[in-house]
This record gives sequence, C-alpha cells and structure tokens, in this order.
Amino acid sequence: MDEMHRFLDHGFIWFSWLAALLTLGALGLFLGFLGVNGLAALNLGLFFGEASPWQVIMGGQPAGEGIWPACVGTVYLVVLSSLLALPLGIGSGVYLAQYASPAPKRLFGFAVDLLAGIPSILMGLFGFALILFLRKTLFPQANTCLLLSAVCLALLVLPYLILTTQSSLEGLPAPIKVAGLSLGFTPWQNLVHILLPAASRGILSGIILAVGRAAEDTAVILLTGVVANAGTPQSLTDKYAALPFHIFYLAAEHRTTGELAQAYGAALILLLLTGTLYAIAYWLHATLVNKWEQKNIMLRR
Amino acid sequence: MNIFKKAKVFMFLMIITVIFATTALGTQGSPLAPFQALEGKIDIAGGTAHIPVMKDAAEAVMKANPKIRITVAGGGSGVGVQKVGEGLVDIGNTGRALKPQEVEKYGLKTFPFAIDGVALAVHPANPVSSLSPKQAQEIFAGKITNWKDVGGKDAPINLFSRDEASGTREVFWKKLLQKGPVAEKANIVPSNGAMKVAVAQDPNAIGYLGIGHVDKSVKAVKLDGVEPTQENAKTGKYPVVRQLYMNTKGEPQPLVKAFIVYILSPAGTQIIQKHGYIPLQ
Amino acid sequence: MMKTGPFLSREKISSRQLRRASRQEALIRGLLFGATLISGLAVGAILGFLAYFSLPLVFQGQAGQILDWRWRPFQGDFGILPMIVGSLLLAFSALLLAYPLGVGLCGFVFSQRQKPWGRLVLLAVRLMTGVPTVVYGFVSVFLLVPLIRTWFAQGTGFSWLAATLTLSLLILPTIVLLTWAQLEHTAIELRLAAAALGFTPSQELLWILLPQASRGLLAAVILGFGRAVGDTLVALMLAGNAPQIPDSPLDALRTLTSHIALVLATDSTSLAYQSVFASGLILFGLAAAVNLALRWLKSPAW
Repeated sequence: MDEMHRFLDHGFIWFSWLAALLTLGALGLFLGFLGVNGLAALNLGLFFGEASPWQVIMGGQPAGEGIWPACVGTVYLVVLSSLLALPLGIGSGVYLAQYASPAPKRLFGFAVDLLAGIPSILMGLFGFALILFLRKTLFPQANTCLLLSAVCLALLVLPYLILTTQSSLEGLPAPIKVAGLSLGFTPWQNLVHILLPAASRGILSGIILAVGRAAEDTAVILLTGVVANAGTPQSLTDKYAALPFHIFYLAAEHRTTGELAQAYGAALILLLLTGTLYAIAYWLHATLVNKWEQKNIMLRR
Repeated sequence: MNIFKKAKVFMFLMIITVIFATTALGTQGSPLAPFQALEGKIDIAGGTAHIPVMKDAAEAVMKANPKIRITVAGGGSGVGVQKVGEGLVDIGNTGRALKPQEVEKYGLKTFPFAIDGVALAVHPANPVSSLSPKQAQEIFAGKITNWKDVGGKDAPINLFSRDEASGTREVFWKKLLQKGPVAEKANIVPSNGAMKVAVAQDPNAIGYLGIGHVDKSVKAVKLDGVEPTQENAKTGKYPVVRQLYMNTKGEPQPLVKAFIVYILSPAGTQIIQKHGYIPLQ
Repeated sequence: MMKTGPFLSREKISSRQLRRASRQEALIRGLLFGATLISGLAVGAILGFLAYFSLPLVFQGQAGQILDWRWRPFQGDFGILPMIVGSLLLAFSALLLAYPLGVGLCGFVFSQRQKPWGRLVLLAVRLMTGVPTVVYGFVSVFLLVPLIRTWFAQGTGFSWLAATLTLSLLILPTIVLLTWAQLEHTAIELRLAAAALGFTPSQELLWILLPQASRGLLAAVILGFGRAVGDTLVALMLAGNAPQIPDSPLDALRTLTSHIALVLATDSTSLAYQSVFASGLILFGLAAAVNLALRWLKSPAW
C-alpha cells in the first residue's frame, strides 16, 4: 500500500510537470507561429490596401484589400452592443444583488444562468429567426444588418455583465453594505454613493470582459449580417465586415499568398485586442480582491 | 482679411475647384459616369465564382462615388436565388441557369455576363493529369479509392465536394458525373475559393471548381485529353460549362441597373477577363 | 453648503420630501426590475423562436425524417443524427484530453506556487482565456492540419483528431481556472493539518484537497462539456464537415453547431431550414441539461 502511494505521489509530480510542459509547449507553438507570420504582415497596407489612409478614413474611398472596414465594423459592433447591454446588464445585476426577494432572485438567476450557457450559434440563429418572423409580420423590409448583430451580441454578453455586477456587489464586506443604510441613506443612495463605487472595479472588469467577448465572436455575426466584402458601414441597417469573420473567410478562401499574409496580420491584431482587454479585466478584478481582502469571491463562470 | 490671406484663400479655392473639375471631367466619358449622379447601396449575394469580378467592379464604383455602398457575400447559387427572391439582397448571382419554377415563384430577371467552365482539380504535385468521365464518376462515387487505380501514386484519394446550394456543384453533377452519386465521406467546402485552398493544401485531394478560379496552386485535370481552358469551354470542346448570371427580382432599380450595365460594358469585360472568365459578346 | 445626504441636513424633513424620496425609490426599483425582466425574457424568447420555427416539422409529421442517419438534401434525406453523435463525440473526446491535463496543470501550479514559474504558468493559463476561438481555429488550420496529414499519411488532416486537439486547448483554461478557484477556497484548517502531518505539496493535493473539492471538479467537467458542445468555429474549420459518423479519429465529422452554420450559409430548401431549428432545439436542450446539472451540484453544498 505504501509502495503504491509513493508511486502515485511521484507519478503525479511527473505528470503535473508533463502537463505544464505540454500545455506551455503547445501554447508557445501556436503563438510563435502566429507571431512570426503575423508580424511580417503588419504594415499600413494591411489596413488600407493600396489606397492612402487619409483617403479611406476621410474620403470614404474603398480600402481595396485592406482590413480597415473590418476593424471599423468590429468597433461599431462592440460599441453598439455595449450601449444596449450595459444598462440592461448592470441594472439587472444591481436588482438581483440588492432589491430582489429570494424567489424572484432564484428564478431570474436561473434564467441568467441559462442565457449564459446558450451557445453563440443559437444567438445567431435567434437573430436570423427574428428577421424571418419580422418579415412575415411587422417589417417586410427587415434584413440582417449591423443593428441585428448588435442586438444578438448584446444578448450574448448580457450574462457576463449581470453575473459580475451581482457577484461584485454581493461580495462586498457586510460593514460596507450597511454603513450607508445605518446613516439613513435610501437603498438607491446607498448604491450610488457607496456600493457601486466600491464594487466599481469588479463591474468594470465585467464590462471589459463583455467588450472582449463581443469583439471576438464569430458565430453570431455569421448568421446576422456580416459579409466578406463591404465598406465601412454607413447606417445601422447596412451589412458590414468584421475582423473575426474576415479571418475565418480568408482562412478558408484566400486566393493569393498576399491574402493569407493579411489573414495572419488580422489574426494577430484581433489577438492583441482581446488579449489586452482580458488582461486588463483580470488585473482589475485581482486588485478588487486584494482591495477588500475577500477571498470568498467565487467567479460563477 | 489682408491681401496675403485673401490670395491664399483664393489659391486654395482654385485648387479645390480644379481637383473637383478634373475628377468629374475625368469620369465624364467613362463607364463610371452614370454612378456620379446616383447614391444608395447594393447588396449582392450568391454564387462564389462571381465574387472576384463583383468585388473589383464594386471597388471601382465605390472609388468613383464614395456615397455608393456595395457589399458582396457568397453562399452559393441556391442562396443567391433565394435571397434575391425574398428581397433580402438586390442582386443574386448564380452559376447555373434559373429553373422555370424559380423564375415563376419569385419573378426574377436574369442577366448572363460570362462563360465559365468547371474543371476537376488536383494538387500540382499529383502525377495524374487526365481522367475519363467514367473514372471521375467512380472516384466521386467512392468506388475508386486509391490514386494508383488511375495511374497515380499509391495513396488514398481524398474527396472534396461542394455544399448543396452550389451552382458549380450542380453543373458538375449533371454534366460530368451524369447525376451519379457522391460518396458520403466527401469533405464539404462552402465555396470555390475554399475548394481551391483545400485542394492546394492536400497532395492527395481531388475536387472541382470554376476554371476562373484555377491558378498555379492547383492543377486542372484534362477530361479525356481535353484541356479545361476557357477557350475550349467557349468552343464547346470542353463539355462542362456554365454561364454566370446576375439575377434581380423584377426590373432592377436605377443604381442596380447601372451596376449591371457596368459589368456588361467594356470596362466590366476587362475585369471579367482579368479573372479568367470569358465575357459574353 | 456642505453636500450631505438629504437626511443629514439640519432642517426638519418635510413629509413631502419623504414621499418624493420613496416615489423615487419605487421608480428606480421598478426600472431595475424591468431591466431584469427583459434579461429573463430573452431566454424565453430564444426558446420560443426555436420552438416556433421547428413546429412545422411536427405538424407535417416530418419529425421522424429529421431523426435519421443520412443527411443528403438532394436525395431528400434530412437526418441530423450523425450531427448529434458528432457533437457528443467531439465534446467527450476533448474533455477526455483536457480534463487530466487540467488537473495536472493545477497540481503543477499548486506545488510550484511559491516559485516564479508556478505563477507564470497560472498567468499563461489566465491569458489563454483571451485568445479568440477563431484564432485557435485559424492557427490550427495552418499548423496542426498539415502536421496531422503528413504524420499519419491518411485522410485530409481535417478530422476528428484535429478538432479534438484544438478544442481541448480551448476548454483547458475553463477547467484549470475553475479547479484552481476551488483549491484556493479550501478551508485553511485542512491545509494546516496537512502541513502539520508532514504532507508534501503533491501529497496534500492528491489525498486531501482534490477529494475534498470533488464537487468543484465535477462542476469543471460539466462546464467544460458545455463549452465544448457549444463551440462552433473549431468544429467548422477543422473537423471536415462530412455528415457521417467517423470510423476513426482521422475521419471527418460534423457537429450540430457547424451544421447550423453551414446550412444557413449555403442551403436553401425549406426542410433543411427546419432541420436547422430542430438542431438548435437539441443544442438548447443540451445547454439546459448542463445548467441543471451544475445547479444540482451547487445546491447541497451551499
């Protein structure tokens, strides 16, 4: 028995080292491959093709083979979906943390968990179905577009916002939560003046997570209006291009090595974008934890 | 303002006017002139063989008049028909002729603009350069599974085929496979471009794509000794041909009509030829 | 005037002020409830649409056609069973690879947590969550697929194996971070007791912490499974998309998620559309099952 235990102990140590080396190796291989090929493609031509940057940005000239329209499309998507999701998400999180009585809290908590678990392609399918439905009933002119994608993306990131807001607020130390109330603040004043500022880092990290998720998602926009060739979107009902889809499209259908190099460049840029966002979100959340010495904050997802 | 400032403003205005005049005049006689007066957007979807031509044409138009917005998507001929029929896009491209029931159901108008052939394609390093139609049928049915049975290396054949909406697929299936079966284990790729990438990367692959998409990265296979070139497609020597069509629902809007006219104009013909297709006379 | 809360002023509070404040409170409470209601209804709306568009299947009695083994729209076969099997196969195999690796990684980080490389590995795993799925797929297409093709000299490289390897890399951070969170929160008394008894870190991990966190470990499995089954891009770009049940890891397969993407992007017959909504319903069911499993796990412990 003793022998077996010792064998398992040593075996586990070896195994854990192996696991770490394998994972780091695979990760390094991936990132190195992408970095080497991507860096080689990083130049102004990547974004603007053969047109001059000024002409493209100010004059509305098409960017040819450049990925500028895709970058702009991604930015618009992120901004729009955040505008939609932030009030809903933070509002819901606040309600669930502060105002809800146990029964609605459990019910809505379940709904939010369910929403969080829905695969992104189903969000896209929902958007597509919504358009089909609207065309038959209220809006015969309805079409897949930027607005639809933003709505579906907002639904996708809503759970992140709700859950992080809720857990940040609930994770505050009890003395903080009641101090204001004991001084005569109403619950809302307590929230605005004390609780939200205190939980701000956690909430902010949730916002950044949501932004990062919206920027990288491909499955939703695939079904709700993204196309491979478009200029910068001029209105909410336009079709548009976006970085993740552009990468996907070029991976499958690049016609020249130049286009493939462009795909590497775009992938590198997207990676840098989301990587930075997640790093900031993590740093914010970590400093929040340190700030309140709350080792009991459990990330629900 | 003192005299120097006035002079500077005057010079500035003159330069601006000259620039505008030359750009406007510059496009006066050109095929892009009609677009100056128009604005709006055109959404194009459907056949993937058309995409290179559509893309270049769109870029030229958007350059001439930045107020016009043109988007191009793929999806295959079936999707093109459905989307333009349902009013989701303005132009639906197909790589095959419209079926009578499609025309009737949606009220579509069709505008052919180029001839394209569909060629069998293999990896450039594959020693096989010619196949008979019967061999092709048996390969795609899954009956021949090794390259050595058709004169190549001893290696398994990796089948690639297109999705169900593809006009390229339909033409290939009707005219080359003679409506024969396609093996279930065939890998499915969603467009001509994707087929090209797939075959170019796999030494044992076989697939099919529009001749306009063939380049140095893949090898087009001769059919019974006939080289699959656009010339042979035009004369009929190479039998697996189809026309490329643009389709609209009813009479096209002015902007859409201008775009179609542009594609059929000499400038459009140049673009078509540049991408390896044969323009219709 | 010093800015204080309204109830800290020196004047007496009028009853009008009180009423206004409580109306304000009620309004805000109502608004926030509205926000929550919308969020909650979203789930219902999604389920509703999926069901609504799958209904014609049931009414026209074609539900049986969908539950078939062959997907060949041109020949009138619309069976999605191969896709269901494909989803499950891929998710389980990815989990089979990622879970031991994840636990091993946790062990490494735990036993080396005082050393810089232990913390570095944890940081690396945390940053892995920031890599977009499309980038994982993209790099795998050009790095992994050719490798598999040349190494095994069989198949096209676009296979069950390629998708599994990439998917495991994708869900690894989920498993590691969740398990690590469990370990971090174990009662300090247990750790002190283990130290007092002379356990080495790995012994402490193996014999005390991991068994104690078994519920959390199970949660990590379920969550990882949910993530794997819901992923679209990795399967779409790497698994070959042949609508069949693979005979070997080097064969192609198609999952429910990539099926939905492929059909909507490229298909046009109405029965195909309905099969897509049926696939969506099944996926929703899987996600809901994952959720219920997690809830059941959490409740006794809490």
